Amino acid sequence: MATAADVREEIVPVGDGRVGMRVQVRGNGPPLVFLHPAAGFAWDPFLEQLATERTVYAPLVPGTSPEDPDAIDEVRDLWELVLLEQEALAALGLLGADLVGSSFGGMLACELQATFPGMFGRLVVLDPIGLWRDDAPVANWLMAAPQDLPAMLFADPSSPGAQAMFTLPEDHTQMADAIAAMTWAMGCTAKFVWPVPDRGLDRRLHRITAPTLVIWGKEDALVSAVYAEEFGKRIAGARVEVLDGCGHVPQVEKQAETLALVRGFLS
Amino acid sequence: MFQQAPYRFLPEDFEQHWSPSVTMPYRELADARGMAATYHQMLDELILGARSGFDGVVVTEHGQAAYDITPNPSLPAAVLANTLRTEDLKAALIVLGRSLGKTREPLKIAEEYAMLDAMSDGRLIAGFPVGLSYDANINQGIPAVETRARFREGYDLLRRAWASDEAFAFNGRFSQYAHVNLWPRPVQDPHPPLWFPGGGTPSTMDWVLAQDAAFVLLTWFGVRMGGAGIFDRFWEMCEAKGKEINPHRVAVVQVCAVAETDERAEAEYGPWLEKGFRHGPGSMPQQFFVQPGYMPYRGLQGMLRSTADPGIAARLKTVTFKELLDEGCVIVGSPATVRERLEAVCREMRVGNLLAMLHMGEMPHELAQKSIRMFSEEVLPHVQGMWERDGYEHRWWPTGVPAKAVA
Repeated sequence: MATAADVREEIVPVGDGRVGMRVQVRGNGPPLVFLHPAAGFAWDPFLEQLATERTVYAPLVPGTSPEDPDAIDEVRDLWELVLLEQEALAALGLLGADLVGSSFGGMLACELQATFPGMFGRLVVLDPIGLWRDDAPVANWLMAAPQDLPAMLFADPSSPGAQAMFTLPEDHTQMADAIAAMTWAMGCTAKFVWPVPDRGLDRRLHRITAPTLVIWGKEDALVSAVYAEEFGKRIAGARVEVLDGCGHVPQVEKQAETLALVRGFLS
Repeated sequence: MFQQAPYRFLPEDFEQHWSPSVTMPYRELADARGMAATYHQMLDELILGARSGFDGVVVTEHGQAAYDITPNPSLPAAVLANTLRTEDLKAALIVLGRSLGKTREPLKIAEEYAMLDAMSDGRLIAGFPVGLSYDANINQGIPAVETRARFREGYDLLRRAWASDEAFAFNGRFSQYAHVNLWPRPVQDPHPPLWFPGGGTPSTMDWVLAQDAAFVLLTWFGVRMGGAGIFDRFWEMCEAKGKEINPHRVAVVQVCAVAETDERAEAEYGPWLEKGFRHGPGSMPQQFFVQPGYMPYRGLQGMLRSTADPGIAARLKTVTFKELLDEGCVIVGSPATVRERLEAVCREMRVGNLLAMLHMGEMPHELAQKSIRMFSEEVLPHVQGMWERDGYEHRWWPTGVPAKAVA
């Protein structure tokens, strides 16, 4: 895991000063923006590997940092979130940077690329949400009992990567804080996709001009792999890779394969 | 008298298989006859209570819930409003109430309450719950983090719509109206008493006191255990704000049942109350109570950090009647027993409005009627007006009925 010394946090005033967008930064090399999933941001081995050759910038959805939980109140809807993210990235000099997004963050990366075609570099999305088919409804991760989440996220919830993701600190206070932070982050991101994660992205995806890689876990129980093709056919020239034996979080469950695909595509 | 409409024909082992809200399968568990019978019996019991001398009748709102199939409390309240008026019954109509946190039509609530106040000739007490998480967020699709902000905005709009002499345009964050010009308006001047149900968080109680409204503790655990730590805090806050310590500022739900003797009360009501707790609050999944984002971050953190024993709250799924009785979640027994216990807890907690819940779960209609009759004849006269006799004025009571409460 990254130590405090490795990571720095920028606080970028956006939205006419109403929001301090927190952006975690780590690594060396050309910039890469990582947009986090619904449960909030964490440095994981996949990002640490990327940070050996790229400077990874991870903007936190306002409110998802325990340092500033009320920031969510200043972001009214998905449209405002997209504008605030773009403002922050522009302020950090990251126009032209590649975007990588996982799940909720994958949707957000698509929204940024569709709203501002040509403004960012390449696009990689890992099992993004944002589309809806009645014959393959996206599972409801907010209604689910906590004990059902591992099976919703991983093809093999007993794998070491999956286990690591759900291991909580032993200390009671630290454990309480970790659960509170994750729960609140899920509440904050839900504001932009609840109750059905479809805000019309299917009508905007065609605007994306960036070279795009769509990676999907074949056994994704949260957002079925049928959506890989849905993204693929709407984004001109997109490459679609579906990984066997993999659920909703390929960067954890199939870390090596995912890393190789992302590195190959971005290099 | 506090009444809900639990679907009365659930299977014995309901709690082993299903949640009482959101996900319980209708086709498997319910039918039209059961629905109709539940509503008929619920209304008959409420009207019996009003005719028997209770100071008020209380209805609540729950969507997609087996433990209360009342998606809009204004519907039973409309029936009651007309009955209270035509029979000249001196009972308040307490709607606890339409949720401003879950609605997308806040003006509808302003209109419904105004109409109920007029229909009942000024008997309405207007209740304003935020709304339960599963109901506001899952059932109605409100993002959980917006629930409280929607409640506050809707409440401000409602108050303005009731009070304004001129029509106005409303540019809210959650609703916009081109021309607010409310017909009807409440008949009580300036408005019906305002009661705010909640779970007892300090921020809510602080806000209720700032409005000079009444605070209603909606708890399954009875006056003493449910109110422990909450009412003390409320009275401290009341004093700190320089407001009169008046027991009529608070109301609380208490499950009660009365029979000829303690033994008979336990034998007759015990099994039904036990099932009622197991089938209702006992089988509700935790995530339905608190969807992510519903409880503010710091409150959630404080709750998770707490090492306090959750006690009976964690055992409701398998709770026994004896535990419910011993912990005070239910007050059950002979008239003398119930009288004595009720008076003691109301005195101890300084509760001015006791909302007696006399039916639960699948309890048969005849038994509920018996309990209502015995309570009204042999308990009510002893606790009614206990604080008014001590000189406390009831400022949170509708002008269309004379004040008495407790009960």
